Amino acid sequence: MKTAIRKQMTIHPEVMDSLNNQISMEMHASASYLAMASWCDQRELLNSKEFFYKQAEEEREHAMKIFAFINDNGGASISPEIQNVNNDFESLRDIYETSLEQEISVTESIFKIFKQARKEDDFTTEIFLQWFITEQSEEEDKFRSILDIFDLMGDMPLKMIDERLPKD
Amino acid sequence: MNFLSDVKFNIQIKKITFCQYQLCVDDKLMVLSFPQLLQLRNKINSLTKPESLEKIIENENYVLLFVADKKHLLFLEIPKLLDLKEEISFCFYNY
Repeated sequence: MKTAIRKQMTIHPEVMDSLNNQISMEMHASASYLAMASWCDQRELLNSKEFFYKQAEEEREHAMKIFAFINDNGGASISPEIQNVNNDFESLRDIYETSLEQEISVTESIFKIFKQARKEDDFTTEIFLQWFITEQSEEEDKFRSILDIFDLMGDMPLKMIDERLPKD
Repeated sequence: MNFLSDVKFNIQIKKITFCQYQLCVDDKLMVLSFPQLLQLRNKINSLTKPESLEKIIENENYVLLFVADKKHLLFLEIPKLLDLKEEISFCFYNY
């Protein structure tokens, strides 16, 4: 079967499974950002609301990028089931802290797949994931900078902090 | 290795043409395209996770599984389910 399966797929079957898990993780992150956007929207935190709606879209785009990559390389993408999306938050700061943790786990997961692809000599996936690694480093940086603003503004009213946060 | 071609296994996957595979479970023969084979692999991997196996054992102790875009239905008890997983893993192992 050696050449038989290879002729059908460019990517390694087990790397494909991990990529499918990554799709699920990205879609979960998207749903999670949507919950955060809704929390902000209800409290008229306009900049944060816009920021999280955009983040939700961005995560979905990441998922779709992987989805198309798997199918384009002869594999089978799986539409994920999204469960356990948290809609309860304590504060705006809590939301941004949770977001940073979420981004870090997404980054870690991408690192794992990258290592796996390298181990299996799946160079196509390795190259594909390079974009995600750069992207994740930017995402993490974005949230760290926002948390710095919270630290700098201390006990200022929530609305004032929100006005100083980026929209995208 | 030639003598192995005379051995008949209860569960076997063979390549027939470039994009067709034949799955044999006992006396049942099923022709699968590659996407159907990938789908079967995904279903079997999900059914053989420890928590899924536990659920199957606690309930009916078997699974009914649609194969090849619902053209075939398989009745699989746990040992057979695990055999099928092994055969599929073997088929993909030498990628």
